[in-house]
Amino acid sequence: MINEKPPYLGFGLGLRPQHYREILDGNPAIDWFEVISENYMIEGGQPLYMLDRICERYPVVMHGVSLSIASTAPLDLDYLAALKKLAARVNPKWISDHLCWTGVHGVNLHDLLPIPYTEEALDHVVDRVGQVQDILGRRLTLENVSSYVTFGQSEMTEWEFVSEVARRADCWLLFDVNNVYVSAFNHGFSTNDFLHGVPRDRVVQFHVAGHSHEESHIVDTHDHPVCDEVWDFYRETVAHFGPVSTMIERDDNIPPLAELVDELNHARAIAAAVREGKRLEAAE
Amino acid sequence: MKTLREIQDSFQRGILAGDDAILTEVKDSAKEQRKVLFGVYRYAYTARLAEIVGEDYEQLHAYLGDQAFDKLVKAYIAANPSDQRSARWFGRHLPTFVRNDATFAKHGEVVEIAELEKALTDAFDGPDAEPLRIDALAAIVPDDWPLLVFVPQPTAIRLTFATNAADIWSALKSETAPPKPLHLPEPQAIVVWRHDFMSRFRPLSTEEAMMWDEAAKGVRFGVLCEMVATFGGEDDAELRAATYLKGWVDMGMLAGCRTA
Repeated sequence: MINEKPPYLGFGLGLRPQHYREILDGNPAIDWFEVISENYMIEGGQPLYMLDRICERYPVVMHGVSLSIASTAPLDLDYLAALKKLAARVNPKWISDHLCWTGVHGVNLHDLLPIPYTEEALDHVVDRVGQVQDILGRRLTLENVSSYVTFGQSEMTEWEFVSEVARRADCWLLFDVNNVYVSAFNHGFSTNDFLHGVPRDRVVQFHVAGHSHEESHIVDTHDHPVCDEVWDFYRETVAHFGPVSTMIERDDNIPPLAELVDELNHARAIAAAVREGKRLEAAE
Repeated sequence: MKTLREIQDSFQRGILAGDDAILTEVKDSAKEQRKVLFGVYRYAYTARLAEIVGEDYEQLHAYLGDQAFDKLVKAYIAANPSDQRSARWFGRHLPTFVRNDATFAKHGEVVEIAELEKALTDAFDGPDAEPLRIDALAAIVPDDWPLLVFVPQPTAIRLTFATNAADIWSALKSETAPPKPLHLPEPQAIVVWRHDFMSRFRPLSTEEAMMWDEAAKGVRFGVLCEMVATFGGEDDAELRAATYLKGWVDMGMLAGCRTA
């Protein structure tokens, strides 16, 4: 089992096919890439070729969307074998997926679905994370998802649930800044309660992304630039956790690479300003 | 209290079948009713899969137009809950679905456009193999030529079309007006494959298609030449066979050869 805490990688982007050529032909200011695992569970062709070239030049982490760790359906061992095979090719700094379920009875709903925060669900998820970690031979990193509904039977807050999973299953956390913002708006909790409610030593990555505001609720669409409110919360997040590998997620309306690098530079500037503020504070 | 399994069963039925039973398990927010909030999941399921099918079948979409394509895709999604870990394969049953749809029963070109697009998508990320190079063939001693067998690229897919779907597809791809659909006097043989990271296709004459199909079964070149002679006449039979073979090599359709 690979147990050591993943290294700090700096500021990264999600690898998208639209940008393959620009990345390989240029030298964009991107420290690392996150790849969607399922997009590379294929037999050959350009996507795998480009992935290999990116892996030669950059640190890469694998981010899945179909592990379905909280599903009551049996673990998909074929999927885990494919994930492990891809990891052998990529040699990722870590492997992440979402604290959610994606379907039961052999169906995949291709969405990151919420669960009730109950002791039953906690036991179930902790057991499954343990099984997955044994199969992969490494600790898993789990991300908090955006959600639109809460369950009447929940017995604890989301951050209590997330923290207990991390502690009991001994896994890492991917703190999605936008998802906390979205869920806090949708369910009426404080982003700061979530921020201060998860264990600092478990968080190894941040996601920052854009969303769609529907007035009564927010939908996590990843199709817009990051908004000011999420940047404000990112500032608080960096101040709380310190340096954590950060990446911008953009999955739709994908702009030219330069625009995403500008956003990444904005994240860099925020983190630098927080660091400088702390240095001055300490010097006083 | 419902178990996690029961909650997930009900949640999934809520998305796939529009069953509202799940609404008794979830809460209104301070700003919105639970039915609207759960509706985000309902909408997202269809929208996400429709987008993926639309990306896989761009020219079918162009041929049918927005309204008919949207109707087809919604019916397809309703009839085929996704069973794949990656949405990449969700659209793989669309050609069969179109074939079985009464609306398209008299429009063979629609099925064949869908078949062509599926094959192009499959070839795009199918298995890798180095193409057979012409210099590798040039190094083969004359006595070995009749014994050669050829290996098609592993991405090669052989289709047979009854209509001019391939011409329609090409016109749509180049954003020109497609020809009227036609039932061809003879079936058209098509090979789809990937070369230099791009999916490609080309129609084959009936003689070339016969030789391709036999070559793909592992028939030796000497026998292929005899078959070509029988098929199209003995005059220049070896030259015709060699010309077909050179075309396959030039276009990267073969992955190797060996003596057998």
